[in-house]
Amino acid sequence: MKAKRHLLRWFAILLAGGALLPGQDSGGNPFAQSKFVPDISLILDCAYLHRGLDDAAYFNLSLPGFSHAAGNGRAAELGGTNLEQGFNLNYAELSLASVVDPYFDLFAVLHFTEEGVSIEEAYFATRRLPAGLQVKGGRFLSHFGRINGQHDHYWDFASPPLVQSVFFGGNLAELGARLAWVAPLDIFLQLGVEVLQGGNEMSFGRRGFAAGAFSVADVRAPGLVVATAKTSFDLGNLTVLAGLSNAAGRSRQEPGLEGGGAAGAFAGNADVYGADLTLKYLFDSIRYLSFQAEAIGRASHGDRYLEASNESWTRLDERMRQAGMYAQLVGRLNKRLRLGARLDLIWKNIVRLAGDRQALPEDLARYTAMAEWNPTEFSRLRLQYAYDRSRCEEIGGRWERRPFDELALQVNITIGAHGAHAF
Amino acid sequence: MKRTALFVILAAGILALPLTAAKLQVVTTYPYIAKLTEHIGGAQVNVHALAGGQWDPHTIMAKPSFIAKLRRADLLIINGAQLEIGWLPPLLSQANNPKVNVGSQGMLDLSRAVKLIDVPDSVSRAHGDIHPDGNPHYYLNPDNMLPLAEAIAAKLERMDPAASQTFVENLAQFKLKWQAKLAEWEKRLAPLSGAWVIEYHKNYDYLLRRYGLQLLGTVELLPGIPPTSKHIQELENKIAGAKVRCILQDVYNPDEASRHLASKHDIPMIKLPHDVGAVREAEGLFSMFDEIVRRLSHE
Repeated sequence: MKAKRHLLRWFAILLAGGALLPGQDSGGNPFAQSKFVPDISLILDCAYLHRGLDDAAYFNLSLPGFSHAAGNGRAAELGGTNLEQGFNLNYAELSLASVVDPYFDLFAVLHFTEEGVSIEEAYFATRRLPAGLQVKGGRFLSHFGRINGQHDHYWDFASPPLVQSVFFGGNLAELGARLAWVAPLDIFLQLGVEVLQGGNEMSFGRRGFAAGAFSVADVRAPGLVVATAKTSFDLGNLTVLAGLSNAAGRSRQEPGLEGGGAAGAFAGNADVYGADLTLKYLFDSIRYLSFQAEAIGRASHGDRYLEASNESWTRLDERMRQAGMYAQLVGRLNKRLRLGARLDLIWKNIVRLAGDRQALPEDLARYTAMAEWNPTEFSRLRLQYAYDRSRCEEIGGRWERRPFDELALQVNITIGAHGAHAF
Repeated sequence: MKRTALFVILAAGILALPLTAAKLQVVTTYPYIAKLTEHIGGAQVNVHALAGGQWDPHTIMAKPSFIAKLRRADLLIINGAQLEIGWLPPLLSQANNPKVNVGSQGMLDLSRAVKLIDVPDSVSRAHGDIHPDGNPHYYLNPDNMLPLAEAIAAKLERMDPAASQTFVENLAQFKLKWQAKLAEWEKRLAPLSGAWVIEYHKNYDYLLRRYGLQLLGTVELLPGIPPTSKHIQELENKIAGAKVRCILQDVYNPDEASRHLASKHDIPMIKLPHDVGAVREAEGLFSMFDEIVRRLSHE
């Protein structure tokens, strides 16, 4: 809370400074520093959402084996945006970037929401390491997979892929350090390793807990290691980008301790694997067709703590093997119009408690289509329809599927520095 | 057996690396810079252009393969004036090559060698996707090729002093040939002086000013923003009051609006290359301007 207030004050100072600086003539002031103002941009993301389900009913749904409704009227911790019916202010993203000195670059991405400020990213990166090496440190989006390293507004759809939600709660963003190496080859080959704090609540988590007579200690940080390999080459007008990723770490999860719920708590290890493939074909300067797919799987093993009766807890050996993917096709028809379709599917959902396979639904799917109108590259309107049959309600110990429709009209607007487009 | 063969190939490849790296590795953003660098660097340099000449120079797709090229570059030569701002910076920050970072000896911004026109007094994106430093398409004034060549020669000399004699000679030779061509182009385009033209995007302003052609308007509403029917109507009103010689269309923007204006008002629409490789005939610097002059003067 204190940190939040501090950030707000800092932002106010920055705004005040920004209001004075750009127009000022340095001729009059020998100490003027306006030329050193970093690249600043503000991105507004808001949406109107219609869902064929009341918010209360929606928040009561779970993704069995992944995320359990807390039963307190709050959404399951899947991250993402556009949670409520009607208007959503997803974020006002302030991004700052600049060269620091000959040795470092600095980047910061802050999300202002109605709840407060969150630091999406704040990291430095080296500029002068030899041999194709780069170190970055601070809080950043992990380079795991294809979509994880991108901010929401670079995504081709208004919602994160299901696999991103269930395994990382949106994005895997962590405190830590990364070492990357680009090979001196004609084709693109990049290897990276990240040592991270491991706070991600969907797959990892650090905080220990007490469950009845059981007490589990915190994970000693850093608790998570991510390794990535990416390669890319061109075949005429076709660009191929492929990657393999692994995130391995300790895991502490206690979603069932606070708001009740049947999930209980978990302590153990988790291994998340990813494979991604992007094929982008350019017809000309404007039109392209892009296919992108990612498969992510998780294997975890540890102890599940369940409340057997009031205040009495049991500990059971648990093994989970879960996997899913998304595949999307996006086409740019002209300078302003893009169309896309995406399939989300979780096909493997094996959870064994003390050797017994739990009755969990597999084949959790969602179908999404979107149409985008971009008046310029600084403004975007996106209409997105999704048919979601991935969520379930627990009724008398059994999982009942609760499919629903979702229609979102999303607006994304940028002012300030020109953000370059990564591939 | 197979494994041994693979090992030998790999080892040979690794040993061969320093041999191939002896030449100065130059990466340029656009093909015209690559051609110009080849004229000056000759056999002493290896040159690779990232963007293709048929693509829109403002919105080049930032392919990861470009990162691999930047990773191994000794020298990066860019157009500058913010033409690359939409695609180059993230590639550069991922290439992990301190030699070609902004501010390094191995990064040459050619826009510093020429005077830019149309520097806006006030900067607002209400005026479209404008360039605050001025119009970045300066290399389509063939006069500018001389200071650009000098800037490249000076940079190559500094980076490879052992070969500086070659660069000086190549530069002198290039300038001689280019000046002869400038005289020829001047003569062939002289009859066009004072003529009114329309262009799709403000691609050719340097060329137009150099040869005294006058710009009636652009087909696109604002830089980077496609034409509206109202804008086309206004342009047609202007056309009615002037004698327009031609409509200049680049190869990458949609040409329906230009085509419509051309057929309705019986004005020829001319597709002009904006870079080497934009049209088949523009395979080098000399042939690109030859082709521009040929198409412009209806020869």
